Amino acid sequence: MPPPRKIGRDPGLTARMTLTLFLLGALYVVLIVAMLAAGVGAIFVGVIAGGLLLAQLFTSDKLAMHAMGAREVSPQEAPELHAMVERLCVQADLPKPRVAVADTPMPNAFALGRSPKTATVCATTGIMELLSPAELEGVLAHELTHVQNRDVLVMTIASFFATVAAYIVQFGFFFGGGGDDDDNAGFLVLLLVSLAVYAISFFLLQALSRYREFSADRGAGIITGRPSALSSALMKISGTMDRIPERDMRASSELAAFYIFPPRVKSALGSIFSTHPPLEKRIEKLAQLESQLQGRIAA
Amino acid sequence: MGFLDVIRGKRDLKKPAPDRLFAMSTAYVTLEESLGLKTTGQAALVFQQLDTADFAQLARDMQELITATTQESGTKVEARDDDFGYRWMVLIDSDFDDLVAGLNAVGGELAAGGYGDRILAAVFPFDDSQGRRVYWIYNYKRGSFYPFVPGGGKQSRDNERELRLKAQVEGELPVEPELERWFPLWGAPV
Repeated sequence: MPPPRKIGRDPGLTARMTLTLFLLGALYVVLIVAMLAAGVGAIFVGVIAGGLLLAQLFTSDKLAMHAMGAREVSPQEAPELHAMVERLCVQADLPKPRVAVADTPMPNAFALGRSPKTATVCATTGIMELLSPAELEGVLAHELTHVQNRDVLVMTIASFFATVAAYIVQFGFFFGGGGDDDDNAGFLVLLLVSLAVYAISFFLLQALSRYREFSADRGAGIITGRPSALSSALMKISGTMDRIPERDMRASSELAAFYIFPPRVKSALGSIFSTHPPLEKRIEKLAQLESQLQGRIAA
Repeated sequence: MGFLDVIRGKRDLKKPAPDRLFAMSTAYVTLEESLGLKTTGQAALVFQQLDTADFAQLARDMQELITATTQESGTKVEARDDDFGYRWMVLIDSDFDDLVAGLNAVGGELAAGGYGDRILAAVFPFDDSQGRRVYWIYNYKRGSFYPFVPGGGKQSRDNERELRLKAQVEGELPVEPELERWFPLWGAPV
């Protein structure tokens, strides 16, 4: 008689993530209504928004690879890394992503690509030197869970209207004034709404990103069956992240969301500003998962 | 994977699909007679090892049980570990049908213990008429087979041969349609 197959779900996390997505959606509806009310043509809005979104989806991974100085490697160049990714892919039931290496001492890893078929998983030379095989496996599984969850796609779409709102705000500052009074009043409202949308969506997006990080940690623990190895990897990475000065950090903040660890040294601001949950929280969650795995027969 | 899974962040492992494993039993006739592939007398089930107390116990029990149940067919069982921390339950028997049945029994034991989702693959090594090694790998998550022919050099595989093998047995084995899922297993201890 097989014991229950589900390794404890985390309904709280799912609920918080869904709520965040819902709030973002509601916020964007407000923005669209404001744009339409301000007299911007509906078709114009649709075409511009669609075009920007597609451009973002199709160019962002190449830009990010370039920004990181990452290079795709063949199985001959990095046999161990390829073999590790391959086995994790079998276990996670994913097609094989492209495998890339970034030559930087900063220990980090990230996943790119809008779908599992176009995904790239990248590790830095620093992380491969720093971590033991089991720890590196945990980190790669974390990135593969991002791929499986389509986090790049989710975050790009989720942050898209925030970007539009930001453009409107910038546009407003450049071209403020002019036109007749009626138009001006409408545009002022749109500007204010955009500003508000941009500000609120910033916090919601950060929260969403943190929830997706927890999901990815959890997925990694389930794929490898060794959540503690990921915990230890996170501790090792964070240790050196604080010691090594901020070199090679030209990466954009959008990219930061897909890092295993954000490239910024500890922020003085509260955790509400962070794309990644605090280390202690992540380790605590992984410890819970480990005890679930250990106790699954007894449960 | 559905839209809702994407929104919520999927966290379950896909369950194993052991049912198509037996397709290898019937396909072996073709492999041997038309393609000249001979079993090496070994086959293995590859799975992830977990560091949990009951898993260690299960692995021990499983080996004993398989040894006991396969006594009359004369199948031997050996546990081997590879460089990546995966356990290979290697069955040794000159009768190919016994190998397939034995692998199914090992997989069944793991599933009964609640660790079916840790099974990666079943591996069938063959030698062709020139003595070259050819593997057929059964992906448990997908329920499909694919060929793996290591090439001459380091980490190189003979894709031409693999694609030919696919065409040759397609009617008899459920072959994995997506080539990007033909994952190699380098350094296989069988």
